[in-house]
Amino acid sequence: MASVYIPVQNSEEEVRVALDQLPRDASDILDILKAEQAPLDLWLIIAREYFKQGKIDQFRQILEEGSSPEIDEYYADVRYERIAILNALGAYYSYLGKIETKQREKEEHFILATQYYNKASRIDMHEASTWVGKGQLLLAKGDVEQAFAAFKIVLDGDRDNVPALLGQACVEFNRGRYSDSLDLYKRALQVYPDCPAAVRVGIGLCCYKLGQFEKARKAFQRVLQLDPENVEALVALGIMDLHTNDASGIRKGMEKMQRAFEIYPYCAMALNYLANHFFFTGQHFLVEQLTETALAVTNHGPTKSHSYYNLARSYHSKGDYEKAGLYYMASVKESNKPHDFVLPYYGLGQVQLKLGDFRSSLSNFEKVLEVYPENCEALKALGHIYVQLGQTEKAQEYLRKATKIDPRDAQAFLDLGELLITSDTGAALDAFKTARGLLKKGGEEVPIELLNNIGVLYFERGEFELAEQTFKEAVGDGIWLSFIDDKAYSYANDARTSMHHFKDMQLFHQLEEDGHFVELPWNKVTVLFNLARLLEQLNNTKTASILYRLILFKFPDYIDAYLRLAAIAKARNNIQLSIELVGDALKVNDKGPNSLCMLGDLELKNDDWVKAKETFRSASDATDGKDSYATLSLGNWNYFAAIRSEKRAPKLEATHLEKAKELYTRVLVQHNANLYAANGAGVVLAEKGHFDVSKDIFTQVQEAASGSVFVQMPDVWINLAHVYFAQGNFALAVKMYQNCLRKFYYNTDSQVLLYLARTHYEAEQWQDCKKTLLRAIHLAPSNYTLRFDAGVAMQKFSASTLQKTKRTADEVRSTVAELKNAVRIFSQLSAASNLHFHGFDEKKIETHVGYCKHLLEAAKVHCEAAEREELQNRHRVELARQVNLAEEARRKAEEQRKFQLERRKQEDELKRVMQQEQHFERVKEQWKSNNLNSKRKERSQIDDDEGGQSERRRRKGGKRRKKDKSRYDSEEARADAMDDQDEMEDEDTNMNHRESTNQMNNQDDDGEDDAQDLLAAAGLEDSDAEDDMAGPSSGNRRKRAWSESDEDEPQDQRPESSPVRENSAEVQESDGEIKDDNDKPNGDAAEDDED
Amino acid sequence: MKLAGLKSIENAHDESVWAAAWVPATESRPALLLTGSLDETVKLWMPDELVLQQNNTGHCLGVVAVAAHPSGIIAASASLDSFVRVFDVDTNATIATLEAPPSEVWQMQFDPKGSILAVAGGSSASIKLWDTATWKLIDTLAIPRPESSKPTDRGGNKKFVLSVAWSPDGRRLACGSMDGTISIFDVNRAKFLHHLEGHYMPVRSLVYSPVDPRVLFSASDDGHVHMYDAEGKSLIGAMSGHASWVLSVDVSPDGAAIATGSSDKTVRLWDLNMRAAVQTMSNHADQVWGVAFRPPGGAGVRAGRLASVSDDKSISLYDYS
Repeated sequence: MASVYIPVQNSEEEVRVALDQLPRDASDILDILKAEQAPLDLWLIIAREYFKQGKIDQFRQILEEGSSPEIDEYYADVRYERIAILNALGAYYSYLGKIETKQREKEEHFILATQYYNKASRIDMHEASTWVGKGQLLLAKGDVEQAFAAFKIVLDGDRDNVPALLGQACVEFNRGRYSDSLDLYKRALQVYPDCPAAVRVGIGLCCYKLGQFEKARKAFQRVLQLDPENVEALVALGIMDLHTNDASGIRKGMEKMQRAFEIYPYCAMALNYLANHFFFTGQHFLVEQLTETALAVTNHGPTKSHSYYNLARSYHSKGDYEKAGLYYMASVKESNKPHDFVLPYYGLGQVQLKLGDFRSSLSNFEKVLEVYPENCEALKALGHIYVQLGQTEKAQEYLRKATKIDPRDAQAFLDLGELLITSDTGAALDAFKTARGLLKKGGEEVPIELLNNIGVLYFERGEFELAEQTFKEAVGDGIWLSFIDDKAYSYANDARTSMHHFKDMQLFHQLEEDGHFVELPWNKVTVLFNLARLLEQLNNTKTASILYRLILFKFPDYIDAYLRLAAIAKARNNIQLSIELVGDALKVNDKGPNSLCMLGDLELKNDDWVKAKETFRSASDATDGKDSYATLSLGNWNYFAAIRSEKRAPKLEATHLEKAKELYTRVLVQHNANLYAANGAGVVLAEKGHFDVSKDIFTQVQEAASGSVFVQMPDVWINLAHVYFAQGNFALAVKMYQNCLRKFYYNTDSQVLLYLARTHYEAEQWQDCKKTLLRAIHLAPSNYTLRFDAGVAMQKFSASTLQKTKRTADEVRSTVAELKNAVRIFSQLSAASNLHFHGFDEKKIETHVGYCKHLLEAAKVHCEAAEREELQNRHRVELARQVNLAEEARRKAEEQRKFQLERRKQEDELKRVMQQEQHFERVKEQWKSNNLNSKRKERSQIDDDEGGQSERRRRKGGKRRKKDKSRYDSEEARADAMDDQDEMEDEDTNMNHRESTNQMNNQDDDGEDDAQDLLAAAGLEDSDAEDDMAGPSSGNRRKRAWSESDEDEPQDQRPESSPVRENSAEVQESDGEIKDDNDKPNGDAAEDDED
Repeated sequence: MKLAGLKSIENAHDESVWAAAWVPATESRPALLLTGSLDETVKLWMPDELVLQQNNTGHCLGVVAVAAHPSGIIAASASLDSFVRVFDVDTNATIATLEAPPSEVWQMQFDPKGSILAVAGGSSASIKLWDTATWKLIDTLAIPRPESSKPTDRGGNKKFVLSVAWSPDGRRLACGSMDGTISIFDVNRAKFLHHLEGHYMPVRSLVYSPVDPRVLFSASDDGHVHMYDAEGKSLIGAMSGHASWVLSVDVSPDGAAIATGSSDKTVRLWDLNMRAAVQTMSNHADQVWGVAFRPPGGAGVRAGRLASVSDDKSISLYDYS
């Protein structure tokens, strides 16, 4: 064992101090040293020995004593040793400062260290070791540039100064100049081949950083040969092993880490890697332990960042998002440079996304993207966030980019597709199809939800076959197949009678009894529903109804299935059954707005106005007025209410219209793209006469409504046509009506035909008008109004033909035929009115019959006249021929100048002919005057008729009579010309018809006219008080019914009033629409679950 | 079981063709196709080339129904003005003009023996029976009104009779009405028997199966064809598939198939064993108002023929095999 010898002062003796037996109390040895004034190098040796033995206090005590001012004084000329002592202290404090984690103590240590070094410099400012020490200190403080300067000073003096070389190597390493650093390390090794193994660690790290992994590995291995306990080398090798990324490498790496941990349990690096490992093996407890230790032992930013990241990740995977977020945040704070360590940003982004903090999440993912602009995960996450933030365009951009970067990422296509569903169904379909293709190619099972979405999109685009295929693929195998393919045919037919009961489940019970397995997995319900919906669209209502019932059999709470069954029943006009089915749906949820709305529609169909309004109200209330359909229905209700009134209450009408407008507007405010509300608003505007505005609205709605099978809006076509009609653009109106009929109704809607006829009528295209009405009668045989209208059209045709100044006998003959037809139609109506109640006043019809008969008589005269005229014309032709002959003869005569006598004879003949013609002319005059007479006679006859009518009316009494009277007065005054009279007669017809309906009511009401007026007045004050107004509801209802038939009149004076029924049609249509809306959310919901 | 298009005549009439029936073959000539149109004419066509044989005028306001006597000698046509014209097929001589005001005239059919012409009487809620020898009205089979309804009730209108069909044995008469109910009458006793329910929209066409006198097929605006046991009052089956109203139904002479014409512009052939549409013909451009299978018989004519007429003014002939 080594010992030192302290020379005893003034003697030759020496005190021997065995270094391994240094006294515990350093004061003993200090006393000796002081007493013997031992050379300072001995002080240093002893202090160093204490340090080596871990007796830090003693070490410090000796050195502090050794650097005290007395010593300075005493050993003033011993410079080197004093510097060495100071440098030792400086190095000691630098080290303390370096390892100290608390900032304040750290500072203090560094200050002390600085003081010592400065003191050393004061003794000799060229001492290299001091500069090296200073350099180390500066390095420890992180002041790389100044450290560089310090080491440079040393190296300038002695380019082989090993500590300085090492220091400088370290500086260069920190500056990232690894090759420079490597050179320096190498030089140090050359100069001092026996230097500690740690130098080779430096070389290894440089090589590693330079990408020379093999060299690095060798260097580390060499270190371990020299010093098997070198933790850094172990960790470095471990990391390199781990990075080989194969199982054996990882295992070796982990073994090394473990050894490093056993050797030195406080190496943060090793701890992090171990933690990382345990994270993947799922031992979260270990992860926490290890990272917490790592955090405690290091204050190196990136390492800490890594530790926090490990911790956060652990919490993240355990679902503790709050904590995970905090640690990710800490990790981000530690590294602060996304380029160095981007993972925590990603993690933080994920956690924030999960916690709903989209903005922060967004910025974090964007940082990830800065580092890795092509990172698909980050792109998808960003896309998702933008969706949540409602910036769909940005979202699309990101998702599109993601799909472009990785065209094999099915999930990205899925996301993109879902995003596009609302905006661009075609693109969405493409995206979904790609996703499906990718999944199939990858051998993965295609999720049902994806197939469902694809199916729905095909459905929406009208590609029904593809939709059906897709849905079938999605539902896969099951009991339903036998229904779809009719294999359970015998059962279906056994249940044949139940087919109509829609509610019957016997089919399924029977199947079960027979040992069939009637099962329906929950995740297939939506698809099956959609399939049924598709079958419905394909008119296979039989199978559709079985599928709906199958759904209900297994999931009796599936309201939509009830509603679809109800809709099927409704489409077949089985209102009672439909109401029952909706009732079942309401049993499941008595506040379901969809069910309530449907019920309201059905009640409207049943003419149950008050009930319908209440139902719509409660539907609206159930959703806090947010359900646009309920609001729309209420709007429609008010609109109907406005125009059903008997045209006697313009104020009431205005109130209802205003209310309707308000409701439509409310819907539009909530959903500015609601076609139905826009249509409604357009109707109200048209009703008020703002045709140009309403035309714009209708045109836009029409454009928007095309392109999806889920949006069928014939109403807007009709409304547009009405507007054209009202503006007098008959040709366009006709075209529009015809297109609408063809496009939406398979030409079966007699009502639209009626509109068409009305347009022809106004355009004076009598034959078209008549033909159109005949078609309408053929479609709706029991609608007598149509017959009446046909009669009127024929009458009008005849009258107008007779008024023409020039007409052929054929024309007149056809006029006569038409008049006969008209007479027959009117008389049939008159006869039928005995049998049935069709809303026409018998007497009025008789007036028509009378008028037509008169016309007929007149026409007969006309006819004769025309025939005679024709005859005359024929004569004339004959004459002309004769004249020609004569001319020729004359020419011949002139040529020959021989037969003068003959010529004279011929001239005589010519004269005679002329006379004859004049005679004819006179006769014609006579006839004309005859005509006038007959006209006059006719008129008086009609006046008589009218007189009769007013008399009848007088019986009814009341103020209306007066009105009528005055109207007739003015009429008579104007009835000078035949033409006018015709016109009046028509209007009159119309008015009378309306009157007649009133009269019917009056008869019913037993002259309760006034009472009703009062009621109407009551309703006037508040349209909502409508309910009250409906007191004598039966009367009211009937009146509405008749007012409807009133509208049917083509001669209706108010063209705008015809949009009436569109809205009723709309109500029907839009329930389908609502349904479809439901369909998709269903699919999406399932999708969300999947997420 | 399939249809193959043989011949189509575009613009066979100047206007929509609304009615079609086959005049059975006589000794002197084969079966002819009889069509009626909105253009107020009734035309006779010779198969298979559909050569126009005759063009009968005289109706007003569009011909809604045509019917041929089983003998093939006389036929009847009816128009919207509620006149029925009975005429000699070969000479076009008018035999009788029938009307029974205020009842209008819709579908009509001769009974299998040819002694009675049954005419659907529209709003009179009845079927008018005419003796084919004397051309006198012999009976009116009225649908009983529900007791509750008053004569002034609007509901009375709903029993508007549109269609008639004789059972092959001539004992039963079925009629379809606007409200979708089908009424069955016992002809011999002139008695209403019962209603068949299931449709809630107009039933425009009815036909009995030639092989089973109990089975009745009905075509309705609800897009369905129903198959009833007319005696047992029960619905045997419902066939859906048409996208719009089913306007006409006829059953093949072998009783194995029915053909339907619809507003959806198609003619469908249904296999009665499968109770499913086996074929859809889409050659028409507008509503198909009538389909008719040619009755068997005639000189050596065994091939099945189906004719269809449409709003697109055309007539089509198909081979049925």
